[in-house]
Amino acid sequence: MRLLGAGRWITAVGLLLLAGVYVRALAFTPIERAQGLAQKIFYLHVPAAIWAEAAMVLVGLASIFYLFLKDPRLDRFAEASAEAGTVFAAIVLTTGPIWGKPIWGTWWSWDARLTLTLFLFLLYVGYLLLRSAVADPGARARYAAVLGICGMCLVPFIHFSVYMFRTLHPMPIVLKPSSPSLPGSMLATWLFSLGVFTLLYVGFVIQRYALSYLREQLEAAGEVGHV
Amino acid sequence: MSETIPANSGYMVAAYIATAVILVSYAVLLYRRTRKP
Amino acid sequence: MEGGGAVGAVAEFVRHAWSVARKDLLVEFRSRTAILSAVVFTVLVLMVFNFGRDPTAVAAVDLAPSILWVTFTFAAMLALNRAFQLELENQALEGLLLAPISRGSIYLGKLLANLVFVGAVEAIGLPLFALFFNVRILPVILPLVAVIALATVGFVAVGTLFSAMTARTRFAELLLPVLLLPFMIPPLIWAVLTTASLLAGRPLSEAGGWLRLLAAFDILFVVLAFVLFPATVSE
Repeated sequence: MRLLGAGRWITAVGLLLLAGVYVRALAFTPIERAQGLAQKIFYLHVPAAIWAEAAMVLVGLASIFYLFLKDPRLDRFAEASAEAGTVFAAIVLTTGPIWGKPIWGTWWSWDARLTLTLFLFLLYVGYLLLRSAVADPGARARYAAVLGICGMCLVPFIHFSVYMFRTLHPMPIVLKPSSPSLPGSMLATWLFSLGVFTLLYVGFVIQRYALSYLREQLEAAGEVGHV
Repeated sequence: MSETIPANSGYMVAAYIATAVILVSYAVLLYRRTRKP
Repeated sequence: MEGGGAVGAVAEFVRHAWSVARKDLLVEFRSRTAILSAVVFTVLVLMVFNFGRDPTAVAAVDLAPSILWVTFTFAAMLALNRAFQLELENQALEGLLLAPISRGSIYLGKLLANLVFVGAVEAIGLPLFALFFNVRILPVILPLVAVIALATVGFVAVGTLFSAMTARTRFAELLLPVLLLPFMIPPLIWAVLTTASLLAGRPLSEAGGWLRLLAAFDILFVVLAFVLFPATVSE
């Protein structure tokens, strides 16, 4: 399947370039004075966070179009994007505490971005659980679309509630991790990393989409039950 | 006025390894699942 | 007479919704098991909160808003879990769908019935909460009831939609909370902030931002659920 081949190539290139990001971030980007080496986690943490949220928006948009057009390709894409979003959210939720411990003195602090990403992670997991709980393919796609749209619409409200909650309950911090205007070299590394994460998102989604398609073909031929 | 940079490279290493593990694991998972759907 | 036609259509729509709501409410309140169980559950949750805290460490008044809202959140969840059980038991959902009423009025009817049910549980729970934790709610009773109403509409609007989807899945009692709780948390946050502000004697204007967000959330999700509900029951 051509799409699958393309997806694999893109992922492979993405992983290769990721190694490049690692080299650049670790060896060729200046160390931030206040936070030290741990600040470099930023180059992985933020691009992952951006894609964790963007993937949810794409799930929502694909879901809206699916309900109008009933095109199964949109449903496959939504499922693929949700899975990719889960992976990126997992990265944020892993690197976040690792970054937070030396900087804030505590592993978890209900920081606004971490909390938002936790929400996203739980929304993704709920989406995937719902899909696996519904046997009928038509109902599965429709229900998933409903949940996807609601999830996307919830995101702005999460921003408004979680950020508000935090400003009224300030957390003790040792150093404030900040992303002010980045000096040139750091910005370049960050952009490079963002590009690589984008590439990985695309590669993952294409492969996962192809997987859904292949599975549907096999189910239709009666060779595989619903998993 | 020169402060020492905090010695927290261990965290950086842990985070970089964790990220690589997650991404490579998912890529491998996809590769294997698409070989035998 | 287009104006009359439009008014007539809306009136019929509301009538259908009301008949769906009435049917549900009659069933629930006639047997009284459901409402009684929900009330007992609420009392027990309040008791758990009382015995679950160290009385020497934290004064009840500091925890009061959280206790109230966690209790209401779980009570609403419990109530919503049964929202479509009724239909499931006798396969009455198919019958309901065959009736000559629009899907939208089914949603509205379900929403109304759930609101009345959850509202009844809250109406009993609120005075009990005030009693158990010695909270003076009467000075702020009107705005407090308003924020409870706003948050409840948000909970129930999304909950009614989701319970239509989860009712026929295998682990419905687990799946509904998993799907619904993320949507209950933002209204919960605004409700807790407002309640804390009210109980602390702050002027209502300070809570204006949160109340506006609650209202915006309610409007968006009622409309969204109304529009999406047909997708949960169509073939």
